Amino acid sequence: MLAAIFIFLLGPFLLIAAAGLSAGETLAFPPQGLSLRWFEAVFAMDNFRASFILSMQLAVGSTLLALLLGVPAAYGLSRYPVPGREWLRTIVFTPVIVPGIIVGLALLRHAVIPLDMSVTVALFLAHTVLVVPYAVRVVTASLENLRPDVEEAAVMLGATRLGTFFRVVMPNIMNGILAAFILGFVTSFNQVPVSLFLTGPGITTLPIDMLASMEYVYDPSIAALSALMALMSMVIVLVAERVLGLSRYV
Amino acid sequence: MFENRRIGAALALPAAVFVALAFLLPVGILLSGSVKTPSGWSLALFAEFFNDPLSMEVMWRTIRLGALVTLTSAALGYVAALAIVQAGPSWKGRFVGLIVLPLMISPVARTYAWIVILGRTGIVNQALVGVGLSDEPIRILFTETAVFIGLVQLFLPLMVLSLVSALENLPTDVIPAARVLGAGWLSVFFKVILPLTKEGLVTGGTLVFTGAVTAYITPAVLGGSKVLMLETLLYQKVSVNNDFVAASVIAAILIAMAIVTHSLLKRAARARAR
Repeated sequence: MLAAIFIFLLGPFLLIAAAGLSAGETLAFPPQGLSLRWFEAVFAMDNFRASFILSMQLAVGSTLLALLLGVPAAYGLSRYPVPGREWLRTIVFTPVIVPGIIVGLALLRHAVIPLDMSVTVALFLAHTVLVVPYAVRVVTASLENLRPDVEEAAVMLGATRLGTFFRVVMPNIMNGILAAFILGFVTSFNQVPVSLFLTGPGITTLPIDMLASMEYVYDPSIAALSALMALMSMVIVLVAERVLGLSRYV
Repeated sequence: MFENRRIGAALALPAAVFVALAFLLPVGILLSGSVKTPSGWSLALFAEFFNDPLSMEVMWRTIRLGALVTLTSAALGYVAALAIVQAGPSWKGRFVGLIVLPLMISPVARTYAWIVILGRTGIVNQALVGVGLSDEPIRILFTETAVFIGLVQLFLPLMVLSLVSALENLPTDVIPAARVLGAGWLSVFFKVILPLTKEGLVTGGTLVFTGAVTAYITPAVLGGSKVLMLETLLYQKVSVNNDFVAASVIAAILIAMAIVTHSLLKRAARARAR
């Protein structure tokens, strides 16, 4: 039974990879002969290359900004008696509840159009908003495993608060921060609904580009691209699992 | 050393202010558009939505698919989670890793795979025609069945993970104890396992249900314009009809559904804690 469920969950990826390895002109399984031509074709396509670069920049940039906001927030909220703590926490976590498509629509309608904001900036803001809750949640979890006495001892021994944070707290929560970075990166890179209304011809992310291409591309190139994306995620997850034990944080 | 409220506030405020300005404010303005008409505040736009047969069809389909996907995931989730928890410690970690893995892979790639499987010349149709069950390929893609299958594959891992962590907290001897006392497997499940893992089921159910009703990619790719769900309907209203007002009404309904589901979860969790 468990094997059947794993086949249901993972089998489609093997099929899509096999379909991408086809030598034929149309998407089919079983593939018509084996070749890497569609994998090569994907790298040669300018539109996919441009959207891949934008997706990468967005995923790295928005996750870094989310951590820059989220790490201090997690630290403040878990260590200090912040006035209105529950409210602040609720605000920070609201993006989890609201469907992504609405975030994109709201930013398009009430920021991009009236403020003449560039779509790229709006995309960056939307992706950051999306990642902030993950950053706060994961870093809070690893802060809870660190006893505050250690920090108190450091301060008592003459360290400044800032010095204590960077030399005592940071090294101890580094795994949590890295896990948050990976989760944030993957969330942003794979994100579709948030970006739907904030992309168009010229500025588009890789998953949106793939969705749009599906309507007129019938050759195996999208299968090859899907296989490549799956492979990229697998490598990230396997490395992260080995190094950090990522599944604890999901 | 952690008494200073000002330091705490200074640390937490930037994130909160950012989320408020870049997210709550625009979403709030968008939602206010759903209760505003040129003549003042009113719920007329919602009445219009609920009186439109097409919109209602889409809404019921969304809720129906959400419920079906949640129930199916719960059933498959228990099967998988029980098997995972009973596996040896080293296998358990590997199995959990295999459940987490698909969650990290692009949902676009995950959904596209079903086109190869369910399409006109896909594997399922090849098999059906090949063994003579059907004379010609049947239509699976662009039906509710295709969307249902895609959604289950997308969200089942969330249910399995919630149930695994609930089952791990189950005292190890309750199941053998119930068996020794003469309970059959069915009554062990309904009288022992289910009540004791209710919390995990509710958590997983909330994640799966909200995920399914707010899904965009699956209905867009596997349902097309024939099987609209609320998010694809919202997208169509904006991109085809340029109707931002109707879109804001759908947005309000989606948010309401998400909030109701989440508060049910909170209440269930609180009832458990008491």
